Amino acid sequence: MESAENQTPEPELVAGFSSIRERTIAENSLVILLQGLQGQVTTVDLRDESTARGHVVNVDAFMNIRLKKVLHRDRRGRLTQLEDLFVTGRNVRYVHIPDHMDIMETIQGQLAKSHRVRNFAGGRKEYAKKKS
Amino acid sequence: MVLLKSVPPPTEGVRHEQAETTAIMDGKGLGCGTLYVAETRLSWFDGSGMGFSLEYPSIGLHAISRDLSAYPQEHLYVMVNAKLSDENEAEMAENVHDDDEDASSGGEDDDDDEEGVITEIRFVPSDKAALESMFSAMCECQALHPDPEDDDSDNDFEGEEYDVEEAVPEHGQGDVPTFYTYEEGLSALTQEGQATLERLEGMLAQSVAQQYHMAGVRTDESNAEFEDGMEVDAGTTVAGQFEDADVDH
Repeated sequence: MESAENQTPEPELVAGFSSIRERTIAENSLVILLQGLQGQVTTVDLRDESTARGHVVNVDAFMNIRLKKVLHRDRRGRLTQLEDLFVTGRNVRYVHIPDHMDIMETIQGQLAKSHRVRNFAGGRKEYAKKKS
Repeated sequence: MVLLKSVPPPTEGVRHEQAETTAIMDGKGLGCGTLYVAETRLSWFDGSGMGFSLEYPSIGLHAISRDLSAYPQEHLYVMVNAKLSDENEAEMAENVHDDDEDASSGGEDDDDDEEGVITEIRFVPSDKAALESMFSAMCECQALHPDPEDDDSDNDFEGEEYDVEEAVPEHGQGDVPTFYTYEEGLSALTQEGQATLERLEGMLAQSVAQQYHMAGVRTDESNAEFEDGMEVDAGTTVAGQFEDADVDH
């Protein structure tokens, strides 16, 4: 589920949205990009000028971020290891996008996953039939 | 000193309760008590019923710390965006409110942080294995309290489940997507509104035949006859054409 390459899990888990509302919010903002970071290791800069680097477990539509195996550096540079960290969206200043990630692909991939969930129950065959 | 009040612990919506939990606030130990992770607030109360409550919007982050070199005990760390003094919770709420006002223009205001208006709380349960449950319960409750001021108006979703696939009638007016750039733009339409929109689009298309791209439907010139008011017929015709297109193989 965590790897972007692994498409096998159930569509609902892949899309990862807990509500229609969250999906709508995410699809209309760049949070969808952050959600594509699931499974990656990255650094989150917090509002209080500390940073947290770890594996992205989940990002919800409100930009609440859950990280695991975190190295937290406070404002003064002191390091602490944290098993699990949940930071509220309000307290996030920056999220670093790993250099190896293609941003457009990630966004498109996230949207595609989400649309697969929608079409899961019945589909729009007309899309395939569209001809010039 | 640290505030202690006798507000009763929450009784409803308690996602996790952890007894024998020591609380340390900004380095000051408050003794041993019970932590209540409730949907409305996070509360801790000691044996004599005194304690404190935290509102989730004021909680900036929480984490499990197992790094004994940083702190000698495994614990749940909570950072609160407020100063909890020995006044009362109202003042804390006030501080939070002030922080909100200061930070209203995009959160770039560092003043509150530079003044150190945060409180660090550590909850040390005697049962270290409970830390994950405590953490997860807090994550769940935190998610119930999204920050209202950060959302722009676009995020204001009425909550009515709208899915264009579901709203569109079965007889398959499937070419509709070509007119809709974003499905969410339709979220303001009811099912009736949706049908009306499609009918109107159909009428419009038939009066401008060449420009009408529809999947599997040929727009005949002859349909222009209907443009002056045979609305229902036009709709039926369109639907009929769709039906044909919809029948696959």
